[in-house]
Amino acid sequence: MRPEPPDGDLVALTLRGHSEAFATLVERYDRAVYHLAYRTLHDVEEARDVTQEAFFKAFRSLRTFKAGAKFSTWIFAITYHACCDRLSRRKHYSGDELPERADAGPGPEQRVIALDEASRLRAAIDALPEKYRTVVTLFHLQGKQYEEIATVLGLPMGTVKTHLFRAKEQLRRLLSGMEVTE
Amino acid sequence: MNMDELERAIFALPLEEPPEGLRASILLATAYHRPAPAFSFAELAVLGALGAVALWLVVLLVLGGGALFVHTLATIGSVLSRAFSNNAFVAWLAAGGATAFWLTLFTGSQPLLSPSHRSERSAGR
Repeated sequence: MRPEPPDGDLVALTLRGHSEAFATLVERYDRAVYHLAYRTLHDVEEARDVTQEAFFKAFRSLRTFKAGAKFSTWIFAITYHACCDRLSRRKHYSGDELPERADAGPGPEQRVIALDEASRLRAAIDALPEKYRTVVTLFHLQGKQYEEIATVLGLPMGTVKTHLFRAKEQLRRLLSGMEVTE
Repeated sequence: MNMDELERAIFALPLEEPPEGLRASILLATAYHRPAPAFSFAELAVLGALGAVALWLVVLLVLGGGALFVHTLATIGSVLSRAFSNNAFVAWLAAGGATAFWLTLFTGSQPLLSPSHRSERSAGR
């Protein structure tokens, strides 16, 4: 069985005109990119649009991809920035258009109760503040590659580690049914 | 739940399932995107016809040693000059042109599709 070609080789092949090589990159990362977009935006349609947009931008600006960099980090950074744009637009419009809800429904802590373990963890991640949620999502996708996470978010590595530590503390408390204090 | 267990639980979380057709639409817009051809079939047909006329003229020049070519041009010229010296022909031509212009005032002109329109159309296919 032939080994899978590394991402860098696929990028180089695409740049040499073998655009089919890009298909392998799409197959490798579309799910992760969609996951990041969905976990950040919580909207299927917007996550779909952002995923398409991210790959389209990556394809068009492949020449700007630095040799030696990680394709996953690059595509996640494009996705994250697209998500931030949408979130800021959403915040801009929500102030004018969305009415205040009379009944806010159950709080995140209440929602965590009575779900199975994976769903509870997911709900707990959703209940985290945005900055912690994104760090946890990238930690899920990239593992303990703090430098890569820091590159995607454009934050110092120390900040990423601090956010991740605090996020995990909050998750533990949420999952133990304890009250969360920021 | 300690930190190690929490990390294991996070890594064990399944990724979100992308909507159906997402990969296909990404691939169509990127890796498998084929730009629209530079010329449409009609444009190719016109270019082909012009090429054939040019070839015919070259053949005439080579075979007729120039005299036949000059004779042909003179014939075409005399037909055109006779047509344009006919007042009725010029009047009908002017009437046709004026009518065409008048109609465009109501319908607007229909420009040929630009290459960018063509590529959008083919991407949507």
